[in-house]
Amino acid sequence: MRIKVKIKRCDPTGRGGCEPYLQAYDVDVKEGMTILETLMWIKENLDGTLSFRRSCRSAICGSCALVVNGTPKLACKTQILREYEGAREVVLSPLSNFRVIKDLVVDLSPLWDKIGRIEPWLQPGSEPPEGGWIITKDEVERIDRESRCILCGICNSGCNSQEVDPEFIGPSAAAKVYRFVGDVREDGKRRRLERVSGPHGIWDCSRCVMCNEYCPKRVEPMTSIEKLRVEAIREGLVDNAGARHVEALVDSVNRVGRLDEAVYTFRSLGFLRSIGMIPLGIRLELHGKMPLPHIFPAIEGIEEVRELIRAVEEEE
Amino acid sequence: MVIHDIVVIGAGLAGMRAAIEAARAGLNVALVSKVHPVRSHSVAAQGGINAALKEDDSWEAHAFDTVKGSDYLADQDAVEILCKEAPENILELERMGAVFSRDERGRIAQRPFGALSYPRTCYAADRTGHTLVHVLYEQILRAGIWIYEEWMVVSLVVEDGICRGVICLNLATGRLHRLHSKAVILATGGYGRVFKHTTNALINTGDGMALALQAGARLMDMEFVQFHPTTLRRTGILITEGARGEGGYLLNREGERFMKRYAPEMMELASRDVVSRAEQTEIDEGRGVDGCVLLDIRHLGEKKINERLSQIRQLAIDFEGIDPVHDPIPVRPGAHYSMGGIEVDVWGETGIEGLYAAGECACVSVHGANRLGGNSLLETIVFGRRAGRRAAEYASSTELKPFPDVFLKEAAHEIALILNRDDGERASTIRHELSSTMNGCVGVFREEKGLKEALDRVRELRERYRKVCIDDKGDVFNTDLQNALELKNILLLAEAICLGALERRESRGAHYRKDYPKRDDENWLKHSLFCLKDGEIRIDYKDVTITRFPPKERRY
Repeated sequence: MRIKVKIKRCDPTGRGGCEPYLQAYDVDVKEGMTILETLMWIKENLDGTLSFRRSCRSAICGSCALVVNGTPKLACKTQILREYEGAREVVLSPLSNFRVIKDLVVDLSPLWDKIGRIEPWLQPGSEPPEGGWIITKDEVERIDRESRCILCGICNSGCNSQEVDPEFIGPSAAAKVYRFVGDVREDGKRRRLERVSGPHGIWDCSRCVMCNEYCPKRVEPMTSIEKLRVEAIREGLVDNAGARHVEALVDSVNRVGRLDEAVYTFRSLGFLRSIGMIPLGIRLELHGKMPLPHIFPAIEGIEEVRELIRAVEEEE
Repeated sequence: MVIHDIVVIGAGLAGMRAAIEAARAGLNVALVSKVHPVRSHSVAAQGGINAALKEDDSWEAHAFDTVKGSDYLADQDAVEILCKEAPENILELERMGAVFSRDERGRIAQRPFGALSYPRTCYAADRTGHTLVHVLYEQILRAGIWIYEEWMVVSLVVEDGICRGVICLNLATGRLHRLHSKAVILATGGYGRVFKHTTNALINTGDGMALALQAGARLMDMEFVQFHPTTLRRTGILITEGARGEGGYLLNREGERFMKRYAPEMMELASRDVVSRAEQTEIDEGRGVDGCVLLDIRHLGEKKINERLSQIRQLAIDFEGIDPVHDPIPVRPGAHYSMGGIEVDVWGETGIEGLYAAGECACVSVHGANRLGGNSLLETIVFGRRAGRRAAEYASSTELKPFPDVFLKEAAHEIALILNRDDGERASTIRHELSSTMNGCVGVFREEKGLKEALDRVRELRERYRKVCIDDKGDVFNTDLQNALELKNILLLAEAICLGALERRESRGAHYRKDYPKRDDENWLKHSLFCLKDGEIRIDYKDVTITRFPPKERRY
């Protein structure tokens, strides 16, 4: 079957400078053919100037991440006909949230820098006994998902928080942090949690779930971030907006059985920073999003809610 | 020009392990790799890494299995080192952070693997290479080793028999750079892309072997190419031997476990050369299924498959459309590993002062005519470390030698020739012809006629390469140019493979000659050596080192 494959290209040394343009190629595709095979076919037969990264072509090296019809994917494990069937077209573009070097090749150095900054190596407290550590299967299982990460950059490309804050730790580095925090041998757990509890850290994740959705290895970075949040609060690292936000939420639910947004803001940000939120409050008010007065009566059956919270706390 | 004490080429397991060891000696070490380290092909290793860890196992047993597997071509002094040093290396990897799968008591679990007399293969599910690559990359960052990422080495700078550094192409800018060093360690992996149907990554073009050969070093045992018995039908993607180690069966179209006719004792877990030949025989004699045999792991059950073989389950689903929990996987032999490589001693020394090699690109030789599964990861770690240590000793005790300018000029000239040629043949055309020829004539079964044809064809293709032409004339991320440079390397190596295979008139390990079906210890218990003289590959031989295990007939 012959289809048009459109590729977003950019040649920084060409006449257009870095101005991206779409180039269409006619390709005969067969059942089972992958996006990577399509790209290789185009490069070999139609246009050798097309640049893209590739290596293992079996979804373990992480080289060939790109955006297929708006969704970041690994080119090697994505079948082109499945993509075409849904959208009736195939548009390939470079990963978002990264600077393009040429065509589908992006500069991943922000990703490598973020990984490097978390001190991504095991920091055990003691030497293992002779014959090695005794580690249970469950303890291995605890960091199994994070251990699958191939650093392809797909999660960073789909990350909404990274889009607005390039300094945000990002899903892949956060998952890497949990890979060590969750390791029974690790001694630097608290220090790691302190570092990610600060600005641009785990509390800046908006929990949009895109990273979990897109991850080709099912690492589920957002779940790692949630696990880090739980660990951080357990460690008593609550002196930050994110942790206070969570506490205020629990508090509000415990008190009235629902969210008291105004109080919530004060508790999360503190008094001074909340003053800065007043214009937003006014705008919300004008749009009818801020019910007055900000006094909620407790919901019916509040006792049951409190009972549930107590039960969970006891279980912890 | 940048100066380092040691430059390591290739950032897979052997290269990273060597770099870490050299940096421990306090030296200024740099890694050069045409891909980011975690993209290196070591990451695709699945099944595991061998070591005699348990009390009722022994390094001697491991050594015997390795030598027998090698069809007695391995150098036994090197095998002894490999097996003796294995346990401490595994434990060190764990100290660095590797998470190996565990047994019921919480110790490192070990699984049975092909041609092993004891379940000796440590593993991290079915992504052992991935685990180890990421752990070593972490240690590279920890040691602060400089990485020249996406830099391709185009020549080794060797003058008066002393290596002085390398010339590299920075792919992101298209600029050539000189890296001046006291020592260079090659760790560039195998040449799987010489073949059409291969488990190897697209980057595996044997660059280091070709560079070394051109710089005056010798290659060894190039005719020994391992064909892995279980690769996916269409893509050649690897399905780990661990699938059989965990209890998987191989079936022909009649549903027969045909291995009982070829290796009645070890069955599916005979050595890889034996299993691949058995499969190919079944297929050739009409008992295959669509050019394949079937790998059946259904009886292991979904739980065990998910726990220990989750990656290959996903690979079979994504690339073959088959869920091994419900259906057997069609598999066939595919080029997997190069037993041969740059001739080195047990410290990675190549014979050129200051030039070392380790891992798949080197030939120590610990694998002889056939490598055992689980021994290649081990080799990268053990001999990567040794090469790193010896290079560091050398670099600490020597002065930096002058860097001759002519090498940069020559490299620039060669690249300009390719870039400026407007009319000629596409690199991909030549590459496809090469890989088809090699698959057809230099595969699991070989004979004189086909080998001669292949050799002639390769020589013709090398001639045609002189007029290779590329589309991309730009500087930035010019992968067209990169592919053309890589093609030159695999063409050179293909000639050595054909020549070695044609000359070796016996069958040993992975090298099987239909016209000489017997092993011939009287005439051929020797390594073949390849060197380049006046642009032509010359062949020579040397004796095998035998210490404990005198050659005897091999049965599984």
